[in-house]
Amino acid sequence: MRSLDVAVVVYPGSNCDRDMFYALELSGFRPRFVGLKGELRGYPVIAVPGGFSYGDYLRPGAVAAREEISHRIREEAERGALVLGVCNGFQILVEMGLLPGALLQNEDGLFSCRWVDLLVEDASTPFTRCYRPGQRISLPIANGFGRYYRGGGDVRVVMRYVHDVNGSEEGIAAVANEAGNVLGMMPHPERACEEILGGTDGIALFRSMMEHLSSLL
Amino acid sequence: MRYLSHLVEVLGREPSPVERHAFEVAWSEHCGYSHTRAYISRLPGVSREVNAGVVELGEGLVCVFKIESHNHPSAVEPYNGAATGVGGIIRDVLAMGVRPVAILDSLHMHRVIDGIVAGIGDYGNAIGVPTVGGQLRVSSRFRHNPLVNAMALGVGRGSEVVPSRATSPDQVIVVFGGLTGRDGIHGASFASRDLSGEHERINIQVGDPFAEKLLIEAFLQMRSEGLVDGAQDLGAGGVLMATCELMGKGGLGGTVHLDAVPLREPDMEGWEVLLSESQERMAVVTTPDRAGRVLEIAREHMLYGAVVARLDRSGLYRAVFGGEVLLEVPVRALLEAPAEEALEVSPPPLSSLRVSFGFEDESAAPIFSRYDYMVGNDTVLPPGLGPAVLRVKGSRRGVAVCVHSREDLAESSPYWASFVALFEACRKLVSVGARPVGVTDGLNYGDPDVDPLGLALTMRGLEDACRQLGLPVVSGNASLYNTFEGTPIPPTLIVGAVGAVEDVYGVSRRPPRGKVFRVGFEGFDPSREARVWRGMEVLRDRGCFLMAPSSFPSATLRDVLRSMGLSLKVLRPIPRGFDQTFLAVSPEGELEGLDLPWEEVGEIS
Repeated sequence: MRSLDVAVVVYPGSNCDRDMFYALELSGFRPRFVGLKGELRGYPVIAVPGGFSYGDYLRPGAVAAREEISHRIREEAERGALVLGVCNGFQILVEMGLLPGALLQNEDGLFSCRWVDLLVEDASTPFTRCYRPGQRISLPIANGFGRYYRGGGDVRVVMRYVHDVNGSEEGIAAVANEAGNVLGMMPHPERACEEILGGTDGIALFRSMMEHLSSLL
Repeated sequence: MRYLSHLVEVLGREPSPVERHAFEVAWSEHCGYSHTRAYISRLPGVSREVNAGVVELGEGLVCVFKIESHNHPSAVEPYNGAATGVGGIIRDVLAMGVRPVAILDSLHMHRVIDGIVAGIGDYGNAIGVPTVGGQLRVSSRFRHNPLVNAMALGVGRGSEVVPSRATSPDQVIVVFGGLTGRDGIHGASFASRDLSGEHERINIQVGDPFAEKLLIEAFLQMRSEGLVDGAQDLGAGGVLMATCELMGKGGLGGTVHLDAVPLREPDMEGWEVLLSESQERMAVVTTPDRAGRVLEIAREHMLYGAVVARLDRSGLYRAVFGGEVLLEVPVRALLEAPAEEALEVSPPPLSSLRVSFGFEDESAAPIFSRYDYMVGNDTVLPPGLGPAVLRVKGSRRGVAVCVHSREDLAESSPYWASFVALFEACRKLVSVGARPVGVTDGLNYGDPDVDPLGLALTMRGLEDACRQLGLPVVSGNASLYNTFEGTPIPPTLIVGAVGAVEDVYGVSRRPPRGKVFRVGFEGFDPSREARVWRGMEVLRDRGCFLMAPSSFPSATLRDVLRSMGLSLKVLRPIPRGFDQTFLAVSPEGELEGLDLPWEEVGEIS
């Protein structure tokens, strides 16, 4: 039986690690922080949280993507573990080449923190199975480099912005790998799990992962 | 150097060049509070013996907070000046042993200076502390002297709070964090001067938010492992002020080994190491047997550190570099800057009070969205509707916080400007259901030597208003000499007010659709404030959404409502005044049976 353990990878400078931990715990998972020298083997879910790994110096995610622990993330992804990258986590997965495309500076050059409306385009991934296809949801964004650039390749689009928020190509907000077990998204589902914080549309993402894990039993 | 003759008297001889450097910093207005100390000591509940003040929130929870200015650096180099202002105030709160959970910024400028906004945003966003609110005041009065004040707030358990002093001669002081360079030498004395001089850029520190984030996590780990007996951040005056304050507040002395400080620039002189204001550094008091673990944690967080001081009972501050004693003076002499006498003033009549200039109606909403105001998952009430409200995880309790000032009243009456600012800040807290519990004061003033009376009145107004509301001033900051070619800014006392929220789940996050009423009294009479607070309680219980702005409408309010899908219709605009009123958005029409005057002023739909 697969456990409900989730590795929350903490790079130097990660700052949404504790929020991710909190939301996972709220959703019934058993999160563990895993640092640069930590062990990832055996975790059915690996969360790469947002923040500013290595201060975003050089380029967001670029330094973190070259850390040893990132190679371990790739190994576990190839073994079928679910890998969720949010915000800077998405940028790291893209820098690793685990997800296609690139994340560029927002079109207006500014950091932007606000709630945005999204459409769940692909509700068949292990991260989105509890949403309805085409469901309109609201999640917060908080980034300066969130403009998704597809680069001409085929991309499995999971969520799109309803309105243009940062110049992302085709409004892409979240993408998955072909197998569907790696998801990268700029919006923060971990900030949208309680009414008191302004919305609960993030809960279904964590519940989706939970259902997916139980379906494997 | 100011107070040179006093220094000769204290030392009983001419000071050496290094002593002159040291005392110029230690006795600068920024570190020594020469012009304000007498007034500060009269404020209720003040203990300036700690880095930041502590108030209780109930259930063993405490809130630690302080406001600090970075006006002079921000005027010269907006981006780094503002960024390091945020970094510094975060470390003040951190040094108390609790996790910083919120930043607020109070900006006074003649136009929105992008570098200042970007500096605050880039620093705060990267360290993962949400910037939950603030104040934007745009007026030509601040053309040459922009004011950048940042407030930080930490929440934790009372048992986590660490003292700001050493307690035993068996202890040592570890300095850890980023490397020490030549940046910011004499920053404290620079911040205590008129701004029209040249060659100012040399004194600006440069911020490294990545190092600050590592510093936060490393320090909190040291604290949770029980390694920290006392702590102090390295701010103005660098190693000198941090170590001598830790010694002096514990009644101790000690020897500082400047050769041990990890340097970025290896050819630095001893006095430069002593006075460098390089950012992202902290001093930790621990024992020799635990110092190894402290340094190990620093290394694990990619930071540098060393044991730099050993303590003793001599009462002397001794700094050694290259085998030579650079400085050997009584610790108390460094800490006891000469103090100017307080002027005795009495409250002027209220009739002198009027609004003497206006502000541009510039929306702060585009600024709020450039700050991550949500990270931490605790922001209940987002910026723009009044005070920020944060929850405390694992409890139903929360904390409300706002920054507020009334410098537009200060040219007519500095006393009443302070008084009204405090009352209005507290009204804002009460509007979200919080009970005001404490205040931090950010004084921004012109030249106290030219206009000592205005300073006395500004401080007396704060003192009297705090006494009337029964509120302690738990921390504060004074920025003087905000002048340009002799012309001062209006006296600007920024109140950072904190309230305890008993049930944070009862706070409404957004206004309902409904009529907007203005409730309360015209004019200002402190004795009526309790009735206004009671009226707010009654209306909140009836499901009204309350706000307490100084004018209505504002571009910020319109923008914030629009972002929530709401629009505002104004029946009667309310210009900036000093009436004791608040706004109530009522989902159910008229306000029947209320014991306060009210009128309809608009509608939210």
